[in-house]
Amino acid sequence: MIDISALLDEIKAQPFRDIVITTPHTGVVTFADIHQGDKAHGPQGQWKEKPGTVIATLERERNPKPICSAEKGVISLLHTELEGRFVEAGTPLAVLRHQLTRAEVENLILRKALHLFPAPERAKYYFTPDVDKKIRASDAHSVIVREGMELLIMSRMKREVPLHYSGPSGVIYAVYFKYNENIDAGAPLIGVCPQDQLPTIQEVIMRVQTDWAEKD
Amino acid sequence: MVENAQDLPPLHEHRILVANRGEIAMRIMRACRKLGASFTAIYTADDAASGHVRLAREMGEKDSLYRVSSYHDANELMAVADATGCTAVHPGYGFFAEDFRFARRVTKRDRKLVFIGPSWKIIRELGDKINTKRLARSLSVPPVPGSDRPIYDELEAERIAKTVFEFQERQGIDRPLVLVKASAGGGGMGIEEVYDPDQFRSVYRRVRNYALRQFKDEGVLIEQRITDFNHLEVQIVSDRSGRSPVHFGTRNCSIQSTGRQKRLEVAPGFAADTLSYTFDADRVLRDIVDYSLAMARKVGYDNVGTWEWIVTRKGDPFLMEVNTRIQVENGVSARIARIRGQGEIDLIAEQIRLGLGEPLGYGQADVTFDGLGIEYRIIAEDPNNNFTPWVGHIESFSWKPEPWLTMLTHVPVDEPYEIPTEFDPNLALAIVWGKNLDEAKARGLAFLQNLRLTGHNASGDPLQSNVEFLKTSTERILRF
Repeated sequence: MIDISALLDEIKAQPFRDIVITTPHTGVVTFADIHQGDKAHGPQGQWKEKPGTVIATLERERNPKPICSAEKGVISLLHTELEGRFVEAGTPLAVLRHQLTRAEVENLILRKALHLFPAPERAKYYFTPDVDKKIRASDAHSVIVREGMELLIMSRMKREVPLHYSGPSGVIYAVYFKYNENIDAGAPLIGVCPQDQLPTIQEVIMRVQTDWAEKD
Repeated sequence: MVENAQDLPPLHEHRILVANRGEIAMRIMRACRKLGASFTAIYTADDAASGHVRLAREMGEKDSLYRVSSYHDANELMAVADATGCTAVHPGYGFFAEDFRFARRVTKRDRKLVFIGPSWKIIRELGDKINTKRLARSLSVPPVPGSDRPIYDELEAERIAKTVFEFQERQGIDRPLVLVKASAGGGGMGIEEVYDPDQFRSVYRRVRNYALRQFKDEGVLIEQRITDFNHLEVQIVSDRSGRSPVHFGTRNCSIQSTGRQKRLEVAPGFAADTLSYTFDADRVLRDIVDYSLAMARKVGYDNVGTWEWIVTRKGDPFLMEVNTRIQVENGVSARIARIRGQGEIDLIAEQIRLGLGEPLGYGQADVTFDGLGIEYRIIAEDPNNNFTPWVGHIESFSWKPEPWLTMLTHVPVDEPYEIPTEFDPNLALAIVWGKNLDEAKARGLAFLQNLRLTGHNASGDPLQSNVEFLKTSTERILRF
């Protein structure tokens, strides 16, 4: 069983994550009126429909595209030397020091507590149609997986192959892949919780909710 | 034709955007250097370890390499071309090579660029399979039997299918087969075979519904499915005048994977001096060359292109399609070609030179051929498992250099290489030359025997490749 107190202490000692904001494509950079040390916010609104703080504008083929902060945090580094320059895709523009949220801490701890089923190859992954239907109808917790079950479709190089689950039986407690996104070999695809351990996991969640204070 | 071709600057003043990856990007960069032109190459994050990135750093100067988000993003390509002062775009093969909208955009935008390929109107005209068929018929060039326009009416579809079945029966085909395919489809999607005329209607309805769902167009093509055939090609080269195309011979691409993907190409298309055929092979080669040139002249074809043919066991040729681009296998034709007796032909350099408006400068009589070339496509795949692509880590890749061997590869040979999952796992093209079929085959086998290719995937399983398939297939080269 995991030592949740120790894990929480470890996270509390370093409660930040540095997020590098990069250019999604090529273009000419114009920074917004923002400086090192400024606070930035992530997307807001009920549906996260309001974009985060604009860090810069990237213009390509006469189309200006705002590059916004995806999380809240403090701008710890700004590459102002790039102002007015044409840059490559993937060029770092800024670093955001982001304080971990309760949900992120939960996620970190769950990754230690759950049985993680990893991606065997770098590929795109999808649930099989039956499982997908079940998840859409209720949620991932409604799906019970067992050894040998055809659970996922691994898609790469225009070919699709079924992927069978291996590990202890249990419910899918967390899904770590997104639709149409490449997952590296070894990265977790799902986190499974054996049914008899569900109360323990709930306890872990409760503990994080009470012990982790969200800061602005 | 390129507008104002005569106003274009000399070759050495051009900068060409290499809008592709892997080995073809490397060939384009080398061809640019040969012509004295500059280049700008691109790569994506997944491709950072590719040999084309290293070559761009080694051979290029300032502005010779840019990381982009995707090879498929036209905005990205145009932005890099503008930022680096490119005057032309070479699309290579795949990606935008046969996209007439992209070619049109390149040449019609405010800051105009030259598209190194046929003019967009020709790509549009010949890229449409139905249009190509109509054009072929108008010149008495035989296309694959079947409908020459999309069919929307069930009764008409049945009538055509009946004609195609009867045509095959007259040819003495034991088990006639009709292909029903979505007119707007591509890449093998929306295609079904029908053996039994009674089953035709249900298959037709299924394909029509699929076509409507997937492509918003329920048009269906009905064609003869020719099963016992050789796949031949004619390499055409022409300048921007479009008036005097020449051919660089024929290729035989009949050795393919189970998914009908080419794995081994041979130039010329048949070896009538060594092997015996049930038809006059030399006449067939002459016919497909003449037909291809006639079509090229008719449309004013103005760059490199390939006419693809099916040749039946009776020696009847049928036009399959026209590829309005440079093909993977152009190097095997170049390997056996001579211009005024001079070898070391580079069709990519020719494509660039002609694309930038230079005149051809030679005629058909100046083009001769010497010997026989074999191109092996070395691919990480499992031939025992339906040619499934293999992904993993290449640990060693080496071969014995020979004067008769040309290796084209983007896989580094001095360090391990992770095959990117975003692209097909093609590793190299090996072009072997021999003075005749027997010598070329013997050399091909010697090359494959000495090839060293090892690696493992994430599960620790050893690398799978098609090398054994290529060895076995070497024996049946050009046999029919």
